[in-house]
Amino acid sequence: MKAGEAQSRITGELRQMLAAVTGRDQLLEIPPQTQLFGVGVGLDSLAGTLLLRRVQRRYGVDVAAEDLNLDALQTLGTLAAFIAERV
Amino acid sequence: MTDGTLIKCVVWDIDNTLLAGVYLESGDRLPPADPRLLGVLRELAGRGILQALASRNPPEAADYVHRLTGADFAAMECGWGSKAAALRQIAADLGLAPGAVAFVDDDMLDRAEVAAAMPDVLVLTPDDAAEAADWPQFSPPVITAEARRRTQLYAARRRREAEARAFGGSRADFLRKVGTRVTIGHAAPADTARLHELSVRTHQLNSAGNPVTEAELAVCISSSADLVATVTLADDFGDDGLVGAAIMSGNAVASGPVPSVMWVPLVMMSCRALGRGTLDALLAWLCRTAAAAGSTELQVPCLVTERNVPMRLALAAAGLRAEPGAVAADGRAVFARPLTGELPGLPDWVSDRDPQ
Repeated sequence: MKAGEAQSRITGELRQMLAAVTGRDQLLEIPPQTQLFGVGVGLDSLAGTLLLRRVQRRYGVDVAAEDLNLDALQTLGTLAAFIAERV
Repeated sequence: MTDGTLIKCVVWDIDNTLLAGVYLESGDRLPPADPRLLGVLRELAGRGILQALASRNPPEAADYVHRLTGADFAAMECGWGSKAAALRQIAADLGLAPGAVAFVDDDMLDRAEVAAAMPDVLVLTPDDAAEAADWPQFSPPVITAEARRRTQLYAARRRREAEARAFGGSRADFLRKVGTRVTIGHAAPADTARLHELSVRTHQLNSAGNPVTEAELAVCISSSADLVATVTLADDFGDDGLVGAAIMSGNAVASGPVPSVMWVPLVMMSCRALGRGTLDALLAWLCRTAAAAGSTELQVPCLVTERNVPMRLALAAAGLRAEPGAVAADGRAVFARPLTGELPGLPDWVSDRDPQ
């Protein structure tokens, strides 16, 4: 239960970071399983880099160093799970 | 100061440096420019070296310097914080390593503070700067058309980013709104100098991580086994010219004329183009061109470093994956994707200069 709570708190924080780095408040509404790459969020290199930088500052997790394929960035949910396992 | 590192950006103090006087203490008669340093600034800007301002002044002082001199500035940091903090911000905004930055200030304490906090920055007095045009660090071997307009292009980028922040919609909608035009086509022999320059200057968006010589590029451009694709970029704010390229090499991995695997030894993009859809467009174009030629897989060997994470993000977004733990001894991993099924799409603002 506790792990689940941490993960949903992190998901909420990540959503805020995503809205901040893209400047799009409507992303505050997306469900955790929305794909970040491609249609929908359309996360590009710039926004992705800024998001990873914030994640590292906030949680001390260097996603790029640990995840060669950056699969953690598939959705907000997968990214939150990746972080929750490491904090 | 003896090594061969080229300076990419000069950050100028304003009071008693670019201005012959102090902005806030001049009453109604604002001080004139220092003609000696203004001459150096113009000369270096013409060589493609970015110019920026860092000053303990209100932002109006930077606007005044811009109006007075007609010079464009790639970045301006005005405020009451430390000069080292201003330089860190400028280097981060422009994507530069501290070793590629020079700082000119008449104030000994500010120079000492920057030298202590950022030992890689080249710290100069106004007298040093007056002679800097003769120094090797300020003398790039080749000056391309893109280089001459570089500071101007960064100033356009600043205005574009301000508008993007005010715009609430998606990146794609913004790029469409500002008239983004991306053209992808085959490189010509005349592009070699600019392509070489990109291979030296790009880090965040460079898959290979090592410079390619003009001779090597000329061979690739004229060879029928290789294809060098170039990306040019423009929008309503300005014409960025040639910002990126990729080399496709069929015969490196197969003997037949239509290799099943298309090998892409280099993908590179100017960091000025970051956030403008050019890298995603180039990767989509590579997939589509390789598929049209009959290849069934695209492979991009990529040096895995801290600096080129933006390149890895673009590869991931285009559906390329490496075998987990596949980083070789040389620091590279091969990212690949099948060219079957749905391929990444080209946005509507991208045009193909040489349609097949």
